[in-house]
Amino acid sequence: MKKITAVKKSIITAVCIALCVVLPQAFHAIPNAGAVYSPMHIPVLLCGLICGGPFGLLCGLAGPLFASLFTGMPPAAKLPPMMIECAVYGCVTGLLARTVHTKSTYADLYISLVGGMLAGRIAAGLAKALIFSAGAYSMAAWAGGYFVTALPGIVIQLALLPSIVFALMKAGLIPARYPKK
Amino acid sequence: MKQLPVGLYQPGSSVIHRLDGSAKLLCLFILLAGVVHTASLPGYGIWAAFTVCLIRLAHIPPGTAFGSAARLKWFFGVILLMNLCFYGPEHPWMRWWIFCPSYEGLIQGIHVVARVFLLLVLSNVLMVSTAPLAMTDAMERLLSPLRLIGVPTDLAAMILSVAVQFIPTFFEETDNIRKAQTARGARFDSPKLWEKAKAVLPLLVPVFLAAFQRADELSLAMEARGYRTDRRVWKKKYPPYQAADWLALLLCAALAAAFIII
Repeated sequence: MKKITAVKKSIITAVCIALCVVLPQAFHAIPNAGAVYSPMHIPVLLCGLICGGPFGLLCGLAGPLFASLFTGMPPAAKLPPMMIECAVYGCVTGLLARTVHTKSTYADLYISLVGGMLAGRIAAGLAKALIFSAGAYSMAAWAGGYFVTALPGIVIQLALLPSIVFALMKAGLIPARYPKK
Repeated sequence: MKQLPVGLYQPGSSVIHRLDGSAKLLCLFILLAGVVHTASLPGYGIWAAFTVCLIRLAHIPPGTAFGSAARLKWFFGVILLMNLCFYGPEHPWMRWWIFCPSYEGLIQGIHVVARVFLLLVLSNVLMVSTAPLAMTDAMERLLSPLRLIGVPTDLAAMILSVAVQFIPTFFEETDNIRKAQTARGARFDSPKLWEKAKAVLPLLVPVFLAAFQRADELSLAMEARGYRTDRRVWKKKYPPYQAADWLALLLCAALAAAFIII
């Protein structure tokens, strides 16, 4: 399969933004699923991995905004820090996916994912500490909210995203990272 | 899951339908800022009256206008109850186990529910009264200042409009896959949390595969028709705002400013 075209990247980004609205509704039946499973992060991270930083950034900004406008979740008060978090996820994951080449697809994916997820959590924590909840946000709240509560979501994302990328490669919907000669 | 919470476009010739799409989008953002800054119950009453006026002006049937919010009645109930029982433990009416219902909790619950409700209904009015193409143009117009720093705003607007078109399709597709997984024994309705979570996970890979299949087909069709992202043939000239657009913007800004300042 040839390199992924800019038009296809654009449409994949649109698809991922739409999934940011749809996926959280699938998790709706589970109490507190948004904070625990973070379903909106999955399409954003995937968009970054496949399409690169700029498209991941757009997906991270527009995904939560559309979800809030269409479904009321996340609520308006939580929207700005979430947009920052998701934008950094998409952007950093995409940039790392472009720059990291270890000759192993799994290693590349995990390095990009972990880097993006850490950067997004740090950015969201900084945004809350400096802007949105200045003076009322502690390190314990950050660690509790972004690592302890969200642990099931982190595990799901780390297990699921490489599987989705491989499934898409196998289905021929995206090119293989290291094509067999 | 089966129904999209926000209504689809309904053609019409009302004052609201005739407003410029970007003016309506700007008005929505201004109104949302005002709603978020509202801190009193009478304030929400004013917003509710304003929203009803908008719905009447747009000639939208009440079922369509409030349908999206009505579908979330259980969600609103849970939010209200949770705030009532857990928000204000300092001055509770009574204490029982972990529950301490209080007046502060009730007020906080009403605040949250009223904000989400208004946000949903206002977004609904915009979506029902604005054609998808007008929405794309509106987004492109609002994003156009970003051209100065090299952001391809026409591409971004195209991506956002395609995303909006895909949302109902994916709701339907996810629902179909969900039914298929239920037929195979997935227990989405199980009262056990772990079983619910286990049932949702096998839903994700087929949803992504189906979504990317659609992306592949659409991008192929666009490329076959000569669409290119690097081609900038012409710069779009947007029509100037009419008096009605300026009036709507001024009205919304004045109302929101009153709530933000007061």
